[in-house]
Amino acid sequence: MGRMARTRRCAGLVALGWLVTGGTVLAQVDPIEIIDRVEQLYRGESSRGTTTMEIVTENWDREITMEVWSLGNDYSLVRIQAPAREAGTATLKADRDIYNYLPKVDRTIKIPASMMGGSWMGSHFTNDDLVQESRLINDYDIELSFDGDRDGVLVWEFALVPKPEAAVVWGRIEYRVRQADYIPLAVSYYDEDGELARSMEFSDFANMGGRLLPRLMMMRSADKPGEYTSMRYEDLEFDVGIDESFFSLRALQNPR
Amino acid sequence: MLQSPWSRIGLRNLGRNPKRTVLTALGLAVGFFTSVVMVGWTQGLMNEMVDNATGLVGGQIEIHDAEFLPERSLYDTIGGRDGIDVEQLVAQVSEDERIIAAAPRVYAGGLLSSGDATLAGMLMGVDPEREVALSRFLDDLVTGRLPQPGRNELVVGTEMARQLESDIGDEVVVVAPGADGSMGNDLFTLVGTYRTGLVEIDSAFAVLPVQDLQALVVLDESRIHEVVVSTEDPWLAEEVAAVVAATLEGEMPGAAVIPWTELTPAIVEYTALVDVFYFVIIVIVFGLAIFGVANTMLMATYERRREFAVMLAVGTTPRGVVQSVLYEAAALGLFSLALGVAITWPVMVWWHNAPPDLTGLVGDIEMMGSVVSLTMRVEYDMGFTAMAAAALMLTALLSALYPALRASRVPPADILSGL
Repeated sequence: MGRMARTRRCAGLVALGWLVTGGTVLAQVDPIEIIDRVEQLYRGESSRGTTTMEIVTENWDREITMEVWSLGNDYSLVRIQAPAREAGTATLKADRDIYNYLPKVDRTIKIPASMMGGSWMGSHFTNDDLVQESRLINDYDIELSFDGDRDGVLVWEFALVPKPEAAVVWGRIEYRVRQADYIPLAVSYYDEDGELARSMEFSDFANMGGRLLPRLMMMRSADKPGEYTSMRYEDLEFDVGIDESFFSLRALQNPR
Repeated sequence: MLQSPWSRIGLRNLGRNPKRTVLTALGLAVGFFTSVVMVGWTQGLMNEMVDNATGLVGGQIEIHDAEFLPERSLYDTIGGRDGIDVEQLVAQVSEDERIIAAAPRVYAGGLLSSGDATLAGMLMGVDPEREVALSRFLDDLVTGRLPQPGRNELVVGTEMARQLESDIGDEVVVVAPGADGSMGNDLFTLVGTYRTGLVEIDSAFAVLPVQDLQALVVLDESRIHEVVVSTEDPWLAEEVAAVVAATLEGEMPGAAVIPWTELTPAIVEYTALVDVFYFVIIVIVFGLAIFGVANTMLMATYERRREFAVMLAVGTTPRGVVQSVLYEAAALGLFSLALGVAITWPVMVWWHNAPPDLTGLVGDIEMMGSVVSLTMRVEYDMGFTAMAAAALMLTALLSALYPALRASRVPPADILSGL
């Protein structure tokens, strides 16, 4: 090829390259895609992890250690390992049904959808938080409300408003996500009257199971300032080779 | 007075047309009957409503920690975290003669589960023996019996049993957050069901012995949320509450003693409203009667215009004529009253002691948050009966006023000459 032609071709390629990358920068932020990614953060094909939960209320403090399993979006299992008195207590989500297993009486109770907003084991997390029964992208309309700098970090902020048919507890949710790696930083939950009910912060970013994740989630109650629940991932691995049969009621009673 | 000519004339005139007299008297008597029975029945309903609101599940007086209402937190026990000597408090409160019974209560929110059904409910810890003397909802259990302490037994409302699809003897899993943060859970046996007729109670409250509930939610035996007190007359509650509060003040500064009139003021206002309504009933009933009686008196005096003409001609003053008519009206009134009492009293006694039961027609009715059954029980109200009697006499006299005046203005010469 002649030199002129090569130069022109190079220039053309450079221009094309610039167009492509420039196009990406200028591309619309897809709120649904981003929130969905954030929701899938601790999940994969399947996952297994160990977490420590610390609950501080005005009347008592507790620490719970639990093992957490998930398969896709439809199956979840949380089993308490410590304290000894409650070891074996488990919460199972299998498809549409949620169950609690109580080892002391060796019985399983089914939790109806109406109770998903209730506190899990006295913490500031709800049953729904633990088993991820609802999916934000299905139940909320999501809009980008802020794109810029907060405390030196480039973030997106999203406003989530429930869809009319959605049976959800919150009147509004605000999500802050770090632009660089789609890591969630903070979530604020507002009740139907628009009052802040609780807020969550993510911190202690570390590599777990091959992903960069916040290890620590801190949920604070808005109307009781001294109270909070923190959940910390001690370890987490993905694609652990479990299937639906693992998430059965029988498996609740006889842990593998 | 009965010796005066006008009264004798008046009385005699009653006998002139007996049928008409009796019919007119009946009109007034039925008016009397209607108002007394209607008010008696309404008063019966009011009493039942107050009784149910104050004696069905709650009591006429409640003693709590000052912080307990309205959130009813598990941690707000009487005397705070240290609790109290429950037996001593109950005994101390019961000293007042006007108090029938006092009993301790513990409350905790929890889940009840049977098979696939799980419900959120309020667990009420009671002393079953004391409760029977105090509240009524456990008196006539629909099925089964009261729970015995130490055996993990409980009693639920018929609606809750239905939603749990449970029967006597079935196992119920009860889960309730404990006061130490643990998740209290245990197996209970359903031994009975109660029915108040109020869905919000029948579907919400599960009743078990105090000690069993305290064990479940990790509360020491000295920690209770409430002492429920019943007084012999609901309307004494305010007075008695003040006395009890004064007694407890030195020893238990954090406690509040609350009469039902403060807990459900709407009922108090409603009964006051109904009292006004009684007055309206009288006005309507006798307002109607007055026209009928006036018509009759008018006819009667027209008929006797010749007689009045003669009276006036021989020198009776117009005032005398008016008096004679009014005495007649008064006599009619007294006769009507006698008739009225004769037909009202037996019915009142009958319906007070053996009220007709219309519940078959309509079932229970919910009024101001408490259930009233449609049995037509009437209450005696002497004050109102006296007012009705006075209204009857007044009606008789007022209705005769215009006819009397007309009678006194009869032109004697014209009438006697044939006009």
